[in-house]
Amino acid sequence: MKGFKVLQAGLFTTLQDQGRNGYKHLGITESGAMDEYAYLWSQKLLNNKNANALEVMVGLKIEVQESTIIAICGADLGFEINGMSKPIWQTYSVQVGDVLSFPKRVSGQRSYLAVKDGFHTKKEYGSYATTLKENIGSKVQKNDILTFTTQMNYPKKYVKKAYIPNYNKTLTLRLSLSYQDRYFSQEEQEKFFNSDYEITLESNRMGAKLKGKPISPKENGIISEGICFGSVQIPQDGQPILLLKERQTIGGYPKIGTVLAIDCFRFAQLSVGDKVRFEKIDLKMAREKTLKFYNFFKDDKED
Amino acid sequence: MTFKPVSVNSLMLYFEQVISEEVLDEVQAMNMALKDIEGIIDLIPSYCSILVEFDIFMHDHKSLEEKISQKLVGLASANKKPTKLIKIPTDYSKNLDLERVASHNNLSIEEVINIHTKTTYRVYTIGFMVGFAYLASVNSKISTPRLASPRKKVPKGSVALADLQTAIYPQDSAGGWNIIGHTEFNDFHSFEVGDKVQFERI
Repeated sequence: MKGFKVLQAGLFTTLQDQGRNGYKHLGITESGAMDEYAYLWSQKLLNNKNANALEVMVGLKIEVQESTIIAICGADLGFEINGMSKPIWQTYSVQVGDVLSFPKRVSGQRSYLAVKDGFHTKKEYGSYATTLKENIGSKVQKNDILTFTTQMNYPKKYVKKAYIPNYNKTLTLRLSLSYQDRYFSQEEQEKFFNSDYEITLESNRMGAKLKGKPISPKENGIISEGICFGSVQIPQDGQPILLLKERQTIGGYPKIGTVLAIDCFRFAQLSVGDKVRFEKIDLKMAREKTLKFYNFFKDDKED
Repeated sequence: MTFKPVSVNSLMLYFEQVISEEVLDEVQAMNMALKDIEGIIDLIPSYCSILVEFDIFMHDHKSLEEKISQKLVGLASANKKPTKLIKIPTDYSKNLDLERVASHNNLSIEEVINIHTKTTYRVYTIGFMVGFAYLASVNSKISTPRLASPRKKVPKGSVALADLQTAIYPQDSAGGWNIIGHTEFNDFHSFEVGDKVQFERI
C-alpha cells in the first residue's frame, strides 16, 4: 500500500479526531485534537466530516507516495514542501515524490495535517483518537505508511486572514465558577483571578500544571467524582491543574471552576513558561459562545 | 439529589455526600434511568454523584434538569434492574503483600483470605485507568493502608487492597495497593457501578 511514508516521526505525532464519547463510565478518556479550532478548520477546508488528522508538534517529515489533497492548520512549524517554506491554513495538492516537513517551532505548539476524507485507520470505541496510556493507537513511527484514498479534483481553499489566530505567549482563560466554588473563600477566589500563572513542564495532553500564587481550598479532598473538560483542580500544593483532552475520568481534588472549551483549545498552542490569567464568565454567556463556535463549523457555507 | 451545572455541556447530579450502599443504589438506579434520555453523550457515575455530559444543541442545563427530575419521580417505586454478580476466581498464593496485610491486622494469612472472600463487594466507581473498579467495603479487620511508596509495575490481574477498598488491576500499571492475589479474570468492561463482586479462592 502507498500513502505518506514517514521519514521522521517528529516529537509526538498522533492521529486524532474530535474525540471519543460514550465510554467514560469505563474509565476511557475523551482524547482527540487538543486544539479543536485548528483541527475543525482542517476539516472544513477539505469538507471532511470528523475524519482523522495528524496532530503534529514538530519534526515530522513525510514523503508523498500517492498524490492527494491536504490541509494544514494550527501552529506555525515552518511547514515546507520540498524544502520550500509554504504558508499554512490552506489546502495543497501534493504530488508523488513531494517531501512535506515541519522543521521548527515558529509560533504555537500543534498543527493539524489532514488529507481529503482522512487516513485509513480503524475506529476504536467509536473514534480515531489516539490515547497512548490506554493502548489505543500509537505514536507515528519512522517508516510508517499512512494510507488514504487518493483525491485529486478539489478546489484550492484558504482560511481568511481574520480567522487565523495570533498565538501570543499570554492568554486569558474564561472560567465559570459554577463548580465547587463553595470550597474556596472569597479571598482565595480574588487571589486566583488576580494572579498570573505560568505553564510548567508537567503539562501534556492530559492536563497542564500551572505555577503561581497558591490557592488554598477549605478541604483537601472530596469524594471522587467525574471530571469535565476544562476543569481546574487545586491539589494540596495549591497550584492549579487545567484538565484537558486526556484527563482522568474521575478524581478527588476540589475544583474551582471550568475553563471555556474554546479557551482550552487556544491554550493547547501555548508552551512551557507562557503565562495565563483567569477571568470570570457566566455559564449563559459561555453557552452562547460555544454554540456560536460549533455552529460556525457545522455550517457548510464557505468563508 | 441536587443539580450543579459544571460546564457548558455538563451537569453534575449530587446525591447525599456519603459513601454508603443506600446512596450507591440511588446512583445506580438514576444512572440506569438516564440512559433513555436522548442527547446525553456520557454518564460518569461515582460514589455519590453522576456527571452528565450532553449535546448542547439538544439541551441546556434547565431543560435537562427538568427531564432528569421527571425520572426522579418514578425512580423510588420503579423495579430496580437486578444487579449483576461477578465472580472473580482468585489465586491467593500469587501475592506480594498478604504477609504485610496479615501482620498489620494481627491475623494469619488464612484468616485474611477467609475475610476477603466472605464479603460481597459493590462497584462504587470505575476510573484511575480503564476498567479499574473500586470495590467496597472491605471488612475493617483486614483494612491496610497503601504501600509507603508505590511499585513501578503491578501486573495485570493483581487483586489488590487499600484501606476499605479492594480492586483488580486491569492492566500492568504503577500502583501502591497491597497485592493479595491474582486472577485470570479479563472481562473488565463488564463492570458497572452498583454491580456485586465476589472473590472465590482457587
